Amino acid sequence: MLKLRLAPQPAQRGALAVFLAEGAPVPPAWAAAAEAAAFSGKAGTSFEPGTAARRTLIVGLGTPDEAAARRAGALATARLSRSKTLILDARGLPEPVAVALLGGAAARAWRCDGFRTRPDPDASRLARIELAVDRPDDIAARVAAEQAQLAGADLARRLVALPANRLTPARFADHLRDLEADGLEVEVLKPQALRAERLNLLAAVGGSAAHGPRLVVLRWRGAQAGPPLAFIGKGLTFDTGGVSIKPAHKMWDMRADMAGAAACAGAMLALARRRSPVHAVAVLPLAENAVGAAAYRPGDVLRSHAGTTVEVIDTDAEGRLVLADALAWTIARFRPRAIVDLATLTGSIVIALGHAMAGLYANDPTLAAALAASGAAVGERVWPMPISPAHREDLNSDIADLRQCATGPLQPDACHAAAFLREFVDQTPWAHLDIAGVEQIETADDEHAAGPTGFGVRLLDRLVAMRFEAGEEAAAWPRLASTT
Amino acid sequence: MLDVTFAKPAAPKSGALALLVAEGEAPAGLWAEVDAATGGAIGRALAVAEFKGEKGKTCSILAPGAGLSRVVAVGLGKPQDLTPQIAEEAGGAIAAALPREVSVAVAAGALDAAHAAEVAAGAVLRAYRFDRYRTKEKPEDKPKLAKLTVLTDDVAKARAAFAPLKAVAEGVFRTRDLVTEPANVLTPAEMAERCKALTELGVEVEVFGPKDLQKLGMGAFLGVAQGSANEPRMVVMQWRGGPGEPARGRGRARGARSGDKPVAFIGKGVTFDTGGISIKPAAGMEDMKWDMAGAGTVVGLMAALAGRKARVNAVGIVGLVENMPSGMAQRPGDVVTSASGQTIEVLNTDAEGRLVLADLIWYCQKTFDPKFMVDLATLTGAIIIALGHDHAGLFCNDDDLAQKLLGAGTATGEKLWRMPLDDAYDKLLKSDIADMKNIGGRPGGSITAAQFIKRFVDARPWAHLDIAGTAWSTKDTACVPKGATAFGVRMLDRLVAEHYES
Repeated sequence: MLKLRLAPQPAQRGALAVFLAEGAPVPPAWAAAAEAAAFSGKAGTSFEPGTAARRTLIVGLGTPDEAAARRAGALATARLSRSKTLILDARGLPEPVAVALLGGAAARAWRCDGFRTRPDPDASRLARIELAVDRPDDIAARVAAEQAQLAGADLARRLVALPANRLTPARFADHLRDLEADGLEVEVLKPQALRAERLNLLAAVGGSAAHGPRLVVLRWRGAQAGPPLAFIGKGLTFDTGGVSIKPAHKMWDMRADMAGAAACAGAMLALARRRSPVHAVAVLPLAENAVGAAAYRPGDVLRSHAGTTVEVIDTDAEGRLVLADALAWTIARFRPRAIVDLATLTGSIVIALGHAMAGLYANDPTLAAALAASGAAVGERVWPMPISPAHREDLNSDIADLRQCATGPLQPDACHAAAFLREFVDQTPWAHLDIAGVEQIETADDEHAAGPTGFGVRLLDRLVAMRFEAGEEAAAWPRLASTT
Repeated sequence: MLDVTFAKPAAPKSGALALLVAEGEAPAGLWAEVDAATGGAIGRALAVAEFKGEKGKTCSILAPGAGLSRVVAVGLGKPQDLTPQIAEEAGGAIAAALPREVSVAVAAGALDAAHAAEVAAGAVLRAYRFDRYRTKEKPEDKPKLAKLTVLTDDVAKARAAFAPLKAVAEGVFRTRDLVTEPANVLTPAEMAERCKALTELGVEVEVFGPKDLQKLGMGAFLGVAQGSANEPRMVVMQWRGGPGEPARGRGRARGARSGDKPVAFIGKGVTFDTGGISIKPAAGMEDMKWDMAGAGTVVGLMAALAGRKARVNAVGIVGLVENMPSGMAQRPGDVVTSASGQTIEVLNTDAEGRLVLADLIWYCQKTFDPKFMVDLATLTGAIIIALGHDHAGLFCNDDDLAQKLLGAGTATGEKLWRMPLDDAYDKLLKSDIADMKNIGGRPGGSITAAQFIKRFVDARPWAHLDIAGTAWSTKDTACVPKGATAFGVRMLDRLVAEHYES
């Protein structure tokens, strides 16, 4: 486990990263090298002056805000991970920027080595990151909150990295049970209970796998009274597509089809670790969409928990089914003040927005704006997308209340999925993040390690901090989690 | 076009009558008069049909008496909620409900003159039909509606309000005609000829052939054209309705100019897109005749602005070209040099629209120094997968222009949805051997296309509208019969009218 330390001065040993905003003067010792490297402090640029006494990297900060600092910290790790100790020299920088440097550097150092039986010669050697700041004591609380977020993201990424033979719904639930140690209440509903609760869509999707479905509820009771904020995460431990089976190419990526649930769990852990005053629940439908004799079929009509009947068109559009039941069940059980769901839901959103942003759908402009602001601040960007009347009309069924998706080429399936989910949220303020495309990174770059990103953990934690902790009225602007 | 006249309210002695009924409205005026003349038949029929004037509802009554062949009641919704759009849609409903009638009178006495004009415009827009290639249609199958008489108290005012709406409708029809024409008829040269017809409206039209394009260094545009036997054309249309002498085309000094800088509209006009060597699948390829809808929209818009004598200087530029596979065709992997000097590695010959737009945009800003540029293109299938058919994708480098466009879209029902531009997408265009490649992969496909175009825009405000999902409709809507929609003509006309006229 990576160690994080604060110090008033850079230590004598270890690789050093120094950060310069765009246009800031380069210290005289490095001025010649900076000129040779045409370094201007632009974000994403860096150089190593050869004359330094130890390995030293000068990193461009661009405009020195929090998001830029996360990127710059990540870049330092990407370049200097062959050293055991990385020292980030953040003296003279604003506190939130310094903390974001540390957070970005630590997040970029994440790796999954659990399944390797021999050492990877190219592996990072990084064991320790030190942040040199003028007054370490002043930022200890901010750093603690950042560490809570890192712990949450780490949990989410570890879960996403686990392959489906190691992470069945039951074992996913076991991992979530472990969160009791952090003060979360954990409740697990097994197949019999799912049937008793009439979570029929979840039961149908998970019905053909050898490993049955689960519904896991995580609850954090902060000091706040009143109804909770609810997170709902799609937790398909593997998605073959079912009878509407997927092509073989890239099917391996479907082990990550539970990234929404993992992100919600990670966010809950972050809230617990930093003792957030919020009252929050995460409701996580976990299932494996397998091919089997008991599988549900295209054309089947299912009765959802809400009572709405759904005509199945494509068994590979299963995410919206388990979410629909989870949404309705959560509203009935908790009457939440707001709901945010996260799901690797559609290929359509990847065609729409690529890998740089998640799709944001909402029935509540205030919640949507808060999510967009949170995402921008923490570098997990979301883009608002429409649910138009035509999208809803496309889901009209000849024989049931609702069709699950539309058919034919060139369908706006991400919008259809959102229109489908909206049918199950009633008047509750609700937002849906389609995180397909941002949950994993195929090739490592300066900003991201390859593999699971933990997308959503920081976003949700920040959303809570800026919008749901101090009461709605006082929370119009993003702020860092403070000491509690 | 449906012949529209305005007259004082008087009960028609024959033909059909349309009643515009707001929710909760009691029979009065012409409505009460006709109801009485038919012995209360209308009131009884509406009661039986439970018609209460709800928006979008109609009720048709056959031969109610008093010499009338048919009466149709059209709901307007709540009177306090009446908008221009609702009035237009009511007009559209009249045209849709009465195709068999030759002459229809519309009782619009309860509406003000502006709304009465909007009802007429809606009927006109909905009654459009493209009939050029039907030779054997049975007379009983042919729509007969030819004359609409709108009965209103303020005839002069309604007539005046209708004049600009009519000009815009004529622009819309011009666009729909062009977009509907098949590719064997509408070659680039033929479409350029049809652009020339705009001179009748006072638009200056210049046509550029292959040699001219070569002189302008438009290697990207010409690369797309080289596979086809039908030569490309670039057409520049200028409407000078604004103050002073605006920018001029070729041969004029580029420096100081007097007068208002023009606004500029640029359209992709691929008269047929086979995909070229990166050929498309056969299924659905027939739709590619409307891959010139962006250009068609620019032509219709210029006609609309000129037709209503808009007080603006406007430039419309269209790039007309056919994308064909042949021994002469451009190959995947070719590198072309655009008019801007930037080189492009063409990895997919079916991503050709952006190549045409790149050269047009460069030419436009160098030649006309416009206030802003809006380009329209049926550019990507990805925008349909992103948004469907309700919104066109809006990509814009300027928040102010974006807001104005979004507003104009909402007001006209030609809706836009803003999509992102970002360096994260731009970097996907990096080429190993040229300044850029012409595709950035399937993920974010509409965004990378927009980023490509953006590389040819200097710092000025620019918007790109990806209309692939909205240019053609497979079902009738209130004022747009299925087929070519002319999406963008009304929205951009509104943009100019609201923000850019002196």
